[in-house]
Parts: sequence; structure tokens; C-alpha cells
Amino acid sequence: MRFYNYISSMNAGLILLGLIGIASAIGSSLWPEMFFKTVYFRLLLLLFFVNMALCTFNSIKKLVAGKKRILHNKRQMLRSICLIMLHSGIVLIIVGASLNSWWGHSVQLSILQGDTVEINRIIPVNTPFQVKLLDFSIPFNEDGSPAQYYSTLQVASSGQNELQQTISVNHPLTFAGVKFYQNSYGYLLNAGAEDGETSKDLLVQDGDWISFESTRRTVKVFKYIPHFDPSLGMQTKSLEPKNPRVIYTVYEGEHMLGVGTAPFKERIKIDEQTYITFAQVRPYSILTVKTDPGMPLTAAGGILLMLGISIVLLMPRKKPNRSQSDKEDIAS
Amino acid sequence: MISIEHLLIYVIFLLYLASMVFYWAARQTPAWMRYASWLAMFGLLCNFLALAYHVAYSHRLPLTNGYEFMMSFVFITVLSHLLYEKRSRHAAAGAAVMLINVLLMVSIMVLMPQQIGQAGPLMPALKSPWLISHVLTAIAAYSAFALVSGLALVKLQANNPADDHDIYRITSLGFVMLTLSIVLGAIWAEQVWGSYWTWDPKETWALITWIIYAIYLHLHRQRGWRGNKARILLIAGFVLVLFTFFGVNYLLPGLHSYA
Ligand code: HEM
Repeated sequence: MRFYNYISSMNAGLILLGLIGIASAIGSSLWPEMFFKTVYFRLLLLLFFVNMALCTFNSIKKLVAGKKRILHNKRQMLRSICLIMLHSGIVLIIVGASLNSWWGHSVQLSILQGDTVEINRIIPVNTPFQVKLLDFSIPFNEDGSPAQYYSTLQVASSGQNELQQTISVNHPLTFAGVKFYQNSYGYLLNAGAEDGETSKDLLVQDGDWISFESTRRTVKVFKYIPHFDPSLGMQTKSLEPKNPRVIYTVYEGEHMLGVGTAPFKERIKIDEQTYITFAQVRPYSILTVKTDPGMPLTAAGGILLMLGISIVLLMPRKKPNRSQSDKEDIAS
Repeated sequence: MISIEHLLIYVIFLLYLASMVFYWAARQTPAWMRYASWLAMFGLLCNFLALAYHVAYSHRLPLTNGYEFMMSFVFITVLSHLLYEKRSRHAAAGAAVMLINVLLMVSIMVLMPQQIGQAGPLMPALKSPWLISHVLTAIAAYSAFALVSGLALVKLQANNPADDHDIYRITSLGFVMLTLSIVLGAIWAEQVWGSYWTWDPKETWALITWIIYAIYLHLHRQRGWRGNKARILLIAGFVLVLFTFFGVNYLLPGLHSYA
């Protein structure tokens, strides 16, 4: 019983809070990548959770038991209820976050305009469905920086179109418990290669190598530059495709023969019978796809915390009276 | 070239500095209090003009980069100080609070001169009502904590229950705002990146700050925790606030480093 009293006491809670603070300060400075995933830190959080849950449970019990006594003091009653709301809010947030870390998933999905993805294949879901990227567009500001990224998604399940919605940064889409966020974007390039008698279409990206049958020479697609400006060299002036070029290098074995900057549709001679033409850029959208089974609890906890704390601490109060104090009870 | 905005910033700095000196001198010669308050008010007026001018050409609230945040933060801190001074009727913590504001103005001039007078378009992640509410509540919280740390510093020796009550109430207000700010920031992060908490340095240090003030509020019920010990906790809290802002932005890398 004494153990129970201590582990559920406010003092123990404050000590644990202090320890969490100190551990976070040290951990985030020394091992920012992994400290918060270690068993030690999680154990600390678990202890804090147990303390806080018991403490809140006790005060709910007290509130219910002493109901008649406090009922005629409305202010006290409100304060007690809000104190319970705020502390149980924190408990709920911890539960929700734990559920997410155990059973939640989050993956990055790169998807070209026109492509369809079976969501089941990238993240476990209850009801299978497909997402197609109908359109991806990037409007630009005057200075050439991206103003927003828009992906128009079409959701279908068992052959039936369910909904169509355009998402953008800050405006995700939720379907069947799966949330889609506009995360980022990338480029692929359409290229045509004439290789002796044959020709082929390629889809390449920065860093790819292209090799041929008709020659030993190889081409490295070095970098796509949306807004080329000779004075900036390899730096793009902006992300807006105002003067797109592809920087490429040609090799003969290990030996580099030269570097070029090609505009689209220009036929580049690599060797006697070998040509490359970069046709166009195909921007693709990068989405974050996420499931979080703890979200309803976390969200409820956040709301309880915000409401409870605002009412408890902003409620008008009498000037201090030195004799009352030292009570340890949320429901007091 | 020196713009109007640069000029205003120097003027604000000088007015706040002068106000601080007069507050300091008023400890010996109370008649100087009035001049100190007037100087602070003129500074506040210029501070308002600088913000209004910035808003006029940027067409948005001054909340989205370090410079805008600092100018709003200093504005709200001086405003709350003057309001508190008027209400409380006893020599507030003028010298200490104005010292904080002077140092914040210096940090604007030294650390972020390239942002003064600039208003590029917002990156998509920053276009969010959650972000606005997150930053507004952060400013309110930081200002309350700045005021309280000034009071705590000045009243370190005097142990007066009325002061203590004021300090406690302002800290409570700051704590509510900090809590709202952290939760609203988490909602914003969830909308943008799909995760509400990633233990990035800024989040972590904001949490540590929050913990310090939570401990203060709980201990405040206990008699031993109303005097100097509590005040030192509050000063430490504000040092953490400053570290969360400057230390994390300028010493440690993280998601927030652009804001
Ligand atoms: C970060 C976590 C916490 C936050 C944000 C928090 C917040 C608060 C706030 C704002 C108050 C009202 C204080 C006042 O009126 O001055 C309060 C009171 C209280 N808290 Fe917490 N708390 C936290 C953790 C804990 C823990 C871990 C415990 C105990 C296990 C606890 C037990 C209590 C008790 C017993 C009271 C009531 C005191 C009274 O009746 O005035 N709290 N808490």
C-alpha cells in the first residue's frame, strides 16, 4: 500500500518529470538520432505513465466518492473536473502515441502522373484500395520558388471510384483510416536513344548511366537543371522550368570525353551511329502515406489537455491565503 | 542602404536602452520612473510602426521568420510590462525587463540582419492557420515568461506574498499559452509532415521548458517553494526559453531551422 501510495504520488510524478527533462536534454544533445527510441528512455516514460494514470485514477475516485460534499461548490467542482481532464489528457496522449509506435505505419511513396498504386502493397490496410495520381502540378512564385505542390488523387476500391481530391502541403487526404500527405517531388526524364539500327525510349534520372550496343561509349545523366543560367554553372536559378537543360557527361571506358548541357528535343551525337535526345521532364510526386491507430486517443487527449489547462489556470482566483496549501489531490 | 525599417530598429533599440537606464536610476531617484516609462512607451510606438510597416509590404502577419517573431515578441513583452506596471502600482521590474528587451533587440541586429526589410514568399509548409496560432501562442508564452523572469530577478530578495501571487498568475498564463503552443504546433506538424512529434531538438527543448514550468506550478502549492527557490526555477525557465529559440536555431540543426 505504501508502495502504491508513493508510485501514484505527485512527488514521484514530479521527480519522474524532472528526470525525463534531464534525460531529454542530455539524450538529444549526444544521441539525437536514437536516444528517444532506447529502452531506458521508454522505461522512464512508462514509469511516468503509470504514475500519472494512477494519480488521475485516484482523483477520479475521490471526485466520485466526495461528490455530494463538493457539489454545492460549483467552482471547486469545475476546477476538479478540469484538473482531471488535463491530467487524463496527458495520459491519453501517451497511450495514443504508444499505439502509433506499435501499430502505426508511415511510408514515402513516389508516384508519376498517371500511375496507380495498390495501397495494400505499401502499407497494411483493412480494406484494399488503389490510388491513382491524376495530375501533379507546381505553381511558382515570381521569384521562381515553388508556391505549392498539388497532387490530384483518385481513390478506387474494387473497381469502383470512391473519391477524387487534390492534396497539397498542409492539406492531406484521409480515406479508410489512411492519410495521404503531399511531401515533396522529384524528376524523371524521358529520353530517346538511337543505337545503331535500333532505337529505344528511356526513363532516367540524375545519376543514371546509359549504355549502348553500337559503341563502347556511355552517357551519365548528371543533373537536370530547370532554370539554367550560364553564370550560375550547375546551380539552377530557380525551380521553375524556364530554361530546362540536362547536364550530361560522355565516357569512353573510364575516360571522360566531355560534358554538355542539352536543351530538350536536341539530338546529341554520342558516336557515329549513336544519338541521345532528351524529350521532356516528368515530375513525380512524393507522398507520405500513414496509418495511426492511436490518433483518436491522441487527438482527444490534446483537446482535453488544452481545455482543462485553460480553465484551471485562467479561472479567476482569490488572493493568496497562506494557511491553505500543501494539499496533494487533484480532486481537492 | 539604410531602410526605414533599419532606422526604426536602431531607434527602438536606443529608446529601450535609455528606458532601461532610467529604470535603473529610478532605484535611487524614484522621480525618474516616469521618464523610464515614457521612453518605453515611445519605443513601443516605434516598435509598432516597424511592425506595421513590415506588414504593409509583406501582406501577412509578422510571424513567419526569426526577425518577424522577435519583433513581435519584444513588442508584446514591452506592452505587457507597461500594462503590468500600470496595474500593479508598485515599481515593477522595469530595469530587468528592459534589459531583456535590449538584449533581444541586439540579437536581431547581430544574428538576423539579412532578414530585416525582407519579405520573400512563404514556403508551402508555412502556409497554415495552425502555424499562425502556434506562433501567436508561443509569443504570448515567451512574453509572459520574460516578464516573470524580470520580476523574479528583481524580487529575489524581497519575499512579499503579493508579488508572489502576481508572479504565479503571470506564469500560469504563460504556461497555458506554452501548452497551447506545443499542442497547436504538433497539430501543424501532423498536417504538414504526417507526424505530430519527432523529438527534433526544438520540440525536445520546448518540452523541457514546459516541464520546468509544470514543476514550478505543482511545487507552488507547497510552502517551501514560494521564495527564492521558486524564483530561481523561473529564471532557469526563461533561460531555457531563450535556448529553445536561439540555441536550437543557431547551434543545433533540425526541422525548425528555417523558421
Ligand atoms: C507534464 C505533466 C503535468 C502537467 C502539465 C500538469 C499540470 C497541472 C496543472 C496546470 C495543475 C494546476 C496547478 C495549479 O492550480 O497551480 C496541476 C495540479 C495538480 N497536478 Fe499536475 N500536471 C502534470 C503532471 C502531474 C503528475 C505526474 C502528477 C501526479 C502524479 C500531478 C498531480 C497533480 C495534482 C495532485 C494537482 C493538484 C494540486 C491542486 O489541487 O491544486 N500532475 N497539474
